Amino acid sequence: MNTNMIKWFSQSWMVVVYIFLYMPIVTLVIFSFNDSQLVTVWSHASMRWYAALMNDSDLIAAVALSLKIAFFSALISVFFGVFTAFCLNRYKRFSGRTLLSSMATTPLVMPDVIVGLSLLLMLVSMQHWLGYPERGLFTILLGHALLGTAYATVVVTSRLREMDGKLDEAAMDLGCQPFQVFRLVTLPLLLPALVSAFLLTFTLSFDDVVLSSFLSGPGYSTMPMVIFSRARLGLNPTINAVATVTIVVVTFAVIASSFYTSHQERKRRREVAQAYSDTNK
Amino acid sequence: MAIAPKANIVREDLLRVEGVTKIFDGVVKAVDNVSLTVAIGEIFALLGGSGCGKSTLLRMLAGFEAPSKGKIFLAGEDITNLPPYQRPINMMFQSYALFPHLTVWENIAFGLRRDHMPKEQIVERVESMLSLVQLTKYAKRKPHQLSGGQQQRVALARSLAKRPKLLLLDEPLGALDKKLRETTQLELVNIIEEVGVTCVLVTHDQEEAMTMASRIAVMSEGYFLQVGSPDEIYEMPNSRQVADFIGNVNIFDGVVEEDESDHVTVRCNDCLHYVGHGISGNSGMSVGVALRPEKILLTKEKPTGEYNWCEGEVTEIAYFGAYTTYHLKLNSGKVIKAQELNNTRDLSCGLTWGDRAFAQWSDLAMVVLTQ
Repeated sequence: MNTNMIKWFSQSWMVVVYIFLYMPIVTLVIFSFNDSQLVTVWSHASMRWYAALMNDSDLIAAVALSLKIAFFSALISVFFGVFTAFCLNRYKRFSGRTLLSSMATTPLVMPDVIVGLSLLLMLVSMQHWLGYPERGLFTILLGHALLGTAYATVVVTSRLREMDGKLDEAAMDLGCQPFQVFRLVTLPLLLPALVSAFLLTFTLSFDDVVLSSFLSGPGYSTMPMVIFSRARLGLNPTINAVATVTIVVVTFAVIASSFYTSHQERKRRREVAQAYSDTNK
Repeated sequence: MAIAPKANIVREDLLRVEGVTKIFDGVVKAVDNVSLTVAIGEIFALLGGSGCGKSTLLRMLAGFEAPSKGKIFLAGEDITNLPPYQRPINMMFQSYALFPHLTVWENIAFGLRRDHMPKEQIVERVESMLSLVQLTKYAKRKPHQLSGGQQQRVALARSLAKRPKLLLLDEPLGALDKKLRETTQLELVNIIEEVGVTCVLVTHDQEEAMTMASRIAVMSEGYFLQVGSPDEIYEMPNSRQVADFIGNVNIFDGVVEEDESDHVTVRCNDCLHYVGHGISGNSGMSVGVALRPEKILLTKEKPTGEYNWCEGEVTEIAYFGAYTTYHLKLNSGKVIKAQELNNTRDLSCGLTWGDRAFAQWSDLAMVVLTQ
């Protein structure tokens, strides 16, 4: 194949990928401005469904609940993930290490349905014997944190692995006790990994419908659950509006974060180059 | 023989290592019953190839590894079981291990803050360290904004800031390129001597050990082959291994013929060696005669004496500018190296490939190796 053909192929492939990935989303955004009561028939543009969204207290409550659960489950996941990753990485020998390293990440490959079902069975029998916990916010949080911990462990582990172990030794050499090493050296250097683990587990929780369905109780419906149940009753265009708002927020956040990272990287490269040219003068 | 004056001064011992052994996983003996003393103000080098146990020994001094057997004393106090953060010992790491999230200033202050030193004193100490390593104007930079040489100086300043009794240097120049190495070597020694700190350094680079250290221990397979000043190690190696490891050497195998108190003669395949000093051996014993290439003189004319010369054919010539190394293939097939100083611009000895040449040396040029 000559270069022209490769170029032509790459570009057309790109178009295919874009259509495949983003056509549905674009359709959804367009139809959110549709005035018609029918989701699939275009009449004319209007903001009608956005106005309806403002008055849809069920949906707004669901979004608030989802945000709350996503935030706290991400916090819990990152907290447990950091310590799991730290134990697995920094202490090469303790009994049960191999088991922990494989078990900690099992939820990644386990179907959500099974995780949700087993959690439900456990919680139901706990409630039967102990009278606690009532299914609702807490149980959803628990399920999401369980899944999130596995993801956070993977993210933090990969960062820890590429970190120079000598830094820990240097800190100890300069008078840090083991916990101070963690607080003053390991943790600050892990910060970028903690942020990305947080964002990842946040989105995981935010769009989860399977675990939430198993674990929620009366009065606790997350946003994806509400959308899902309404879709089954016949699509209401308000859903398009709420989805569009979500997409706009997410897109904005992604663009901002990638812009920030690339800016930091450029700045860093400039400074490194500067340092070397300084010394060669 | 000449010994550097600094090694001759009797000084109080600071570090004493007594019969330290380190066994990994119950089988691998990384360090095997090593004992040594280091005097106050000395720069002591552990020299050896990779896997010889030098780094393990250093890590035991720092407290990162616990000895399986033996004891370590610092200024008379048993520190064998002290954790690294309680030892008055600091280390400069090979990779420098500077904290990437802290500035140069904060890196140097890091150890002082752990000791809860008053703020004014920290400021004062850090400033003086910065001026010692001439990095005052880089204080606010992060490590990645510095060149390799500057990073090395920050690492040095950080390890000296707490005024440790003992400074450990792990391959201090290993991460620098060759040209920067030579200047940094002297700079490093000057700073260490200015501060007056006792030093143990680990290196695989014999030049580094020779220029920096007042005493060198040559290590192999976990134990010391020889301990001595750089010139002792170079001029009086006690075994083939040491002679071979330090610099280039030609070793002739032979048998002692005459064994007198003031000289010995050794018969080899290609020549007869007349060595101008006595040895602890007897006639008929198989020995090796070590001869450094720079102590050999190459000529086209046949020497007149009956010993300390041999004849061969020039097979390789490597021109290094300051000197030229010739490979001479002797009649027995053995190849020796000879180094000739290029003290005039016309390459005085005028030898070329395939020439017959004679190598000669004085009766004090070689060392008899009995082991």
